[in-house]
Amino acid sequence: MLAAAAAAAARASRGLSSWLPQTVPLRGSHWQTSLLALRASLPTRAQPKKKKKVDLKREQAQKDRMKKKIKKLEKLAPEMIPIEDFIPPVKYSDNNRVRSLPPLSFEETERRVLLMKKWCVFKQKQDKAEKKAIQTLVEAQQEALKELRLESEELYQAAIRRDEGLFPFERDGPNYTPPLPGYDPPEGKCIDITKVYTQ
Amino acid sequence: MVARTAGHCGPRGGVMAAPMKRAAGWGRWFCTAAAPRPWRLFGAMCLLRLPRITQPLEKEEEEMAALMEQIELEKSHYSDHEVRKLEEEEQLRRRKESAYDDDDEAPGKTVIMAQDLEDKWEQKLLGFEAAPRITDADKNNNRTSLNRKLDSNLMLLVKQKIGNQELWLLPQVEWQPGETLRSTAERAMATFLGDHIQAKILGNAPYGIYKYKFPRAIRTEDNVGAKVFFFKAFLQSSDLSQAELKEDYLWVTKDELGDYLKSEYLKKVNRFLLDL
Repeated sequence: MLAAAAAAAARASRGLSSWLPQTVPLRGSHWQTSLLALRASLPTRAQPKKKKKVDLKREQAQKDRMKKKIKKLEKLAPEMIPIEDFIPPVKYSDNNRVRSLPPLSFEETERRVLLMKKWCVFKQKQDKAEKKAIQTLVEAQQEALKELRLESEELYQAAIRRDEGLFPFERDGPNYTPPLPGYDPPEGKCIDITKVYTQ
Repeated sequence: MVARTAGHCGPRGGVMAAPMKRAAGWGRWFCTAAAPRPWRLFGAMCLLRLPRITQPLEKEEEEMAALMEQIELEKSHYSDHEVRKLEEEEQLRRRKESAYDDDDEAPGKTVIMAQDLEDKWEQKLLGFEAAPRITDADKNNNRTSLNRKLDSNLMLLVKQKIGNQELWLLPQVEWQPGETLRSTAERAMATFLGDHIQAKILGNAPYGIYKYKFPRAIRTEDNVGAKVFFFKAFLQSSDLSQAELKEDYLWVTKDELGDYLKSEYLKKVNRFLLDL
């Protein structure tokens, strides 16, 4: 179509009389008369016909296929997100990785068992002491509140009201050494490479 | 006068007989409805500086930690670093046993061995100096500094004049009508340490109470004794350079409280302090 228009333009420029200007539908007032516009504005009736029918059908068919696939996937149950901690990577199941240590002697096992028993007793005592301390704490507070109630009811009511600003309570836990004054930590950037799964 | 007050609040007296009897052994009957309250109220603040470092492990804890490490080592597999180290040791051994194979290794190539890496890391660790766990204030036993005993709770004690005695107490201030006891305790803290203290008070309720009767000389019908309500707070600002309006203050641990507080007072205070 463009080639025909270009040929027509070329013939016009050469001034051949056989090419009649009436056949060219450029006489309309709103049409431009430049050569470039000529190529663009010539009606091309052949191509749009193909676009309208066949391609539309093809696109419709593609869309339907995609929709069917999506429906099938949605009907299936959502896939479980794997917990990466529970799946040991394959490379650690090699045999050459198994540690070779001498077997434990009888004295060593005995020592271990006795130490475990001592530990049980130690932890039990610690737990009992903690519980007792908490019990005295609660008792002391109850006593204080009782005395306060005897004094004045309004103060008591103010005391047993919930403290909204207390929680969430955050605190940096104790470290092994106190902070070093004037310590300049080395520069670095932390890039997070955790895999995020979506269902 | 006693009979009159008793008759006025007869039905109420039954409830209050028990605690009042505990107080001093005589059955004084009080009516909280309309009669004047004979007890003066004080709000005291127990300001705690929380520990900055971990406490040293006990003997059993250390033994158990060592045992746990050993068991973990036995149950583990070799890591990448260890596999690399083992292979390199194998290569070194083979090279020494057999004649040197010049074909295998190019002479100019320098390979970083895993052992070298470990040595380098070790050197780097030794080059780092951490702050000491036992500070100078510990060595001098300077009880006014906050840098002491970093592994336990420190409490604020101030010297106050009660009656005509100068006593070491937790900072306390008399309650004024129109404020809650918690705000009294906050005022006590602000009086002794200034306004710019960041402390988290743990709740609206008091943690303990110390009740005492005034000596007979001062005691009147309206002024029998005082009740001191204790509140607990955690100190959050780490340094108090602009604070300390009074010179007589101390930061002490629970064990050292006995050096300064009276026995009855100490007993009541010890009840609400967790000894960790």
